[in-house]
Amino acid sequence: MSALVTGSRAGTAARWGLLAVGSIVMVLPFLYMLSTSFKEQTFVLTIPPQFIPQPATLQNYRDAWGTQGFPRYFLNSLVVTVLSTAGSLLISSMMAYAFARFRFRGREVLFRVLLIGLMVPTMMLIIPQFLLAKYLGLLDSMAGLVVFYIAGSLSLNTFLLRGFFAEIPAELEQAMEMDGAGPVRRFFQLILPLSRPALATATIFSFLANWDEFAWALTIITTPEKNTLPVAINLFHGQNSTLWGLVFAASVIAIIPVIVIFLAFQRHFVQGLTSGAVKG
Amino acid sequence: MSHRLSRLVATTAAALVLAACGSDQKPASPAPGSSDSTAPVTLTFWGTYGNGGNRTQTDVLQKSLIPAFEAANPGVSVDYVDVPYDSFLQKLETSASGGQLPDLIRADLGWVPRFADDGALEPLDTAMPNFQKFADKTYPGSLATNKWEDHYYGLPLDTNTRVLISNPEALAKAGLSKPPKTIEELVAAGPKLAEQNVSVFADSGLQTWNVLPWIWSGGGSLTDEKLTTATGYLDSPETVAAVQMLVDLYQQQAIPNLITGNKGGTPTSDGLPKGSYATILDGPWMAGVWSGQYPDFEPTYSPMPEGKGGSISVVGGENIVLTAESPNKDAALKFIEFTQGEQFQLEMAATGQMPSVVGLGDAAAKKYPELAPFAEQLKTARSRPAVPDGSKIDTILNDALTQAFTGKASVKDALTEAAKQIDPLLSPSS
Amino acid sequence: MTVLDRPPVRASAPVPRTAARARRPRGAGLTPWLFLAPGMILFLAAIIYPMMQAFQMSLYDWKVLKGLSSEFLGFDNYRRAFDDPIFWRALVNSGVYMAITVPIQVVLGLLVAILLNRKAPARALFRVLFYLPVVTSWVVVSLMFKYLFADNGVINWALRDVTGLTDGNISWLGDRWTAMAAISVLGIWKGVGWSMMIFLAALQGVPRDLEESAAVDGAGALARFRAVTLPAIFPALAFVVVMLVIGGFNVFTSVLVMTDGGPAQQTQVLLTYMYQLAFADGEYGYGAAMAVLLTIAVFIISILQLRAFRGRMGSAT
Repeated sequence: MSALVTGSRAGTAARWGLLAVGSIVMVLPFLYMLSTSFKEQTFVLTIPPQFIPQPATLQNYRDAWGTQGFPRYFLNSLVVTVLSTAGSLLISSMMAYAFARFRFRGREVLFRVLLIGLMVPTMMLIIPQFLLAKYLGLLDSMAGLVVFYIAGSLSLNTFLLRGFFAEIPAELEQAMEMDGAGPVRRFFQLILPLSRPALATATIFSFLANWDEFAWALTIITTPEKNTLPVAINLFHGQNSTLWGLVFAASVIAIIPVIVIFLAFQRHFVQGLTSGAVKG
Repeated sequence: MSHRLSRLVATTAAALVLAACGSDQKPASPAPGSSDSTAPVTLTFWGTYGNGGNRTQTDVLQKSLIPAFEAANPGVSVDYVDVPYDSFLQKLETSASGGQLPDLIRADLGWVPRFADDGALEPLDTAMPNFQKFADKTYPGSLATNKWEDHYYGLPLDTNTRVLISNPEALAKAGLSKPPKTIEELVAAGPKLAEQNVSVFADSGLQTWNVLPWIWSGGGSLTDEKLTTATGYLDSPETVAAVQMLVDLYQQQAIPNLITGNKGGTPTSDGLPKGSYATILDGPWMAGVWSGQYPDFEPTYSPMPEGKGGSISVVGGENIVLTAESPNKDAALKFIEFTQGEQFQLEMAATGQMPSVVGLGDAAAKKYPELAPFAEQLKTARSRPAVPDGSKIDTILNDALTQAFTGKASVKDALTEAAKQIDPLLSPSS
Repeated sequence: MTVLDRPPVRASAPVPRTAARARRPRGAGLTPWLFLAPGMILFLAAIIYPMMQAFQMSLYDWKVLKGLSSEFLGFDNYRRAFDDPIFWRALVNSGVYMAITVPIQVVLGLLVAILLNRKAPARALFRVLFYLPVVTSWVVVSLMFKYLFADNGVINWALRDVTGLTDGNISWLGDRWTAMAAISVLGIWKGVGWSMMIFLAALQGVPRDLEESAAVDGAGALARFRAVTLPAIFPALAFVVVMLVIGGFNVFTSVLVMTDGGPAQQTQVLLTYMYQLAFADGEYGYGAAMAVLLTIAVFIISILQLRAFRGRMGSAT
């Protein structure tokens, strides 16, 4: 350990060696999944395992994309994710604005109530939420997904954005107010533009959480055409027989957007985690 | 001022919540049965025809049968939705709770009492004017599974049973040129095959569907004939001996732990064609599964191996039921009639779904010789207990037998305990 | 667990002073309420109301189907849980999962973060690779690990044919403890990147000069770590532990996909059991009771942990 930290040449080598081993462990399952997605069922789970598909086939991708309705599931996931992320961002930033920039009676209490949402894992509420969705006629609908995804992300996003909004100097807002700008204009033309980094962070985290959400969609969606990707992928996997090639071809299709978004915006991940969790 | 406001907001929120909960969820749908024959109607039909990647069945249904029905019934279209078998019961349960059931369900015959008891199904004998005409044409044993208390809630859609399916190459490793005819032969082959890392038999669970053929063929039983008690039957010496035979094989590693719920085990549909398993018990649809994934595999079909009780397998099959909440009952009844006709029954027979209509069963067996072993086995096959808590019985039996197989309890103790738990589920709840 | 959750540590902190500066002398009037209304109404309706309803349901044999009436049971559902061996088993399994995954994720995450806390060209790449599992859907990674841990899977092959560590096949998913081990390995693999990221961010805040002066004083690396680094990242450590423990209670998808609670209910964890009770068996009231018990447990454990950490922080500074 001491060598690692002091940065001697041997230490540096050991450091990168350890990291390389670690990251190989992280990546291998992905590569093996990719390889399996090009295999026929006969060559799946053989001993010894086949790492390079032989023969390689595109049939799984053709099946997933062609006959199994995956374009539809992909579109469903995209629509639900975009709508719920946009909705959550708008509503959360409005709440954050009220909490950060105004004084009013009950503010502390309301904010604490909102924070309960951070403590309670969403799965705990799935039973009553299912019944609520039933009464509201939201079962088996995209709207049911969007509404509850937004509700589930409000606490976190409001908390994140409130912290950021509060740091914006009050003088800026006062100056705008002198010029006769009302709160709505100040919100849209001052607060939101100045908070782009925080909004970006909230957007990415919400996007990923919604894209990957499984339990709620599994519970309320019954019509297969309305399935989102995680649910559709899980349906390919039976307890007694699983077409692994197909399952993994579908999985590869589902995680490509995640990886693209992650690579494109990874700076914001670090920022989000830094400004949020650890500072202060 | 702001105090008043906060109260206002709180009450508004509460009012909204209350309003939301009070409102009935469904937009006004046409009254049941009132569907106008000229208005276009879409029927939703859920089933598990595509189970295990079986495309031959879904293709026949969606490319041939449904179009034929739609052509004969202008204005009615059928939307068939394939649900994986493993999650079907849970999907039905959740959908029933949510008021989201489809018009028609192809239900496993063990499930009719359960959903009928919940009030989720429409009694067909009152809803369908010519019910008796159709009912009379079906096999009585299959029809009986549609009855719950005083009504029939469905009609048989297809029937099936399990026979012994073998991989001849794997059997040859134990010197067997033919599938074992008796349970004794099968047991004798166990250790020989185990030495060569082949399991003599494999199955993927310990529910009634899985173990009753062994229990019945061994001379045991699950309950008395009137379904009033399991004690004295499930723990009888014959039943214990039949199960003990399986447990011994399991402990000699001649039966893989797939049977005790190892989710990482090789599924029977892969293990048999790959030669890891020599025999399995399964139904006529397996040919459709293998034709896609293992086109070169040529299995042998033979009767359930004989024991003291004979060669007795378990009756499977599906019924078609109409849900109570269906807004399209007239159209749905037309589709039910269609499923009882020659075209539907025979075209599905070609894919391994055996006809449930008496006259057509023989016709199908002649036309598709591969169904013959199943038709033969059906003559002696028996049904599982038709009670609403059938799936609970399965869970109890599965969990108790898993204890016995893994050596945590003796077979006798496990079955005695299971019988005690099953007893209260047998006598009708009323 | 969401990818990023906020430290409840700050939950009770007062609203920042800057907000006070923004106070409007004339009184805010209606404006803040209008901004709050859509979110607050949705939040009360979809989160707070269901919380209360869960408690109400837990007192009934709650029937959902039309025409069936719910019977009031008082606390019978709770009593039933105490006599339910599967509930206790699920509790133990959840506890075991936490006991395995939380410490290992903390240690490995911290180790990787320390190794990466150096300017170097490949640093961003490593960060991405370690974080990749975190952003991948639970369903996909669970399927991946079910495949890896299958009887004929790569793990068995590697153990037997490559390293020779075991001679036979291990049916990882066929036995309670090996299955919990496989599920835990997945949990660790998926979570290390998250704690790494938090620690990495925290390490940026460690004053370099302090570390260096400690080095000049001749303190060894371990001593420096304990004297300088650990106190500096202590809030992050507390946050990570609290969040991982909550995440441990929340384990669901991996169990559902990999074993579905089997064999014979041996690997049920609290949430899979609750889910099965409600949505497969129709026992909504009993399932709700389980959710209430779990929520209370999460609250109590979080608060106890925060207390403990706060105590330590107080004495450390």
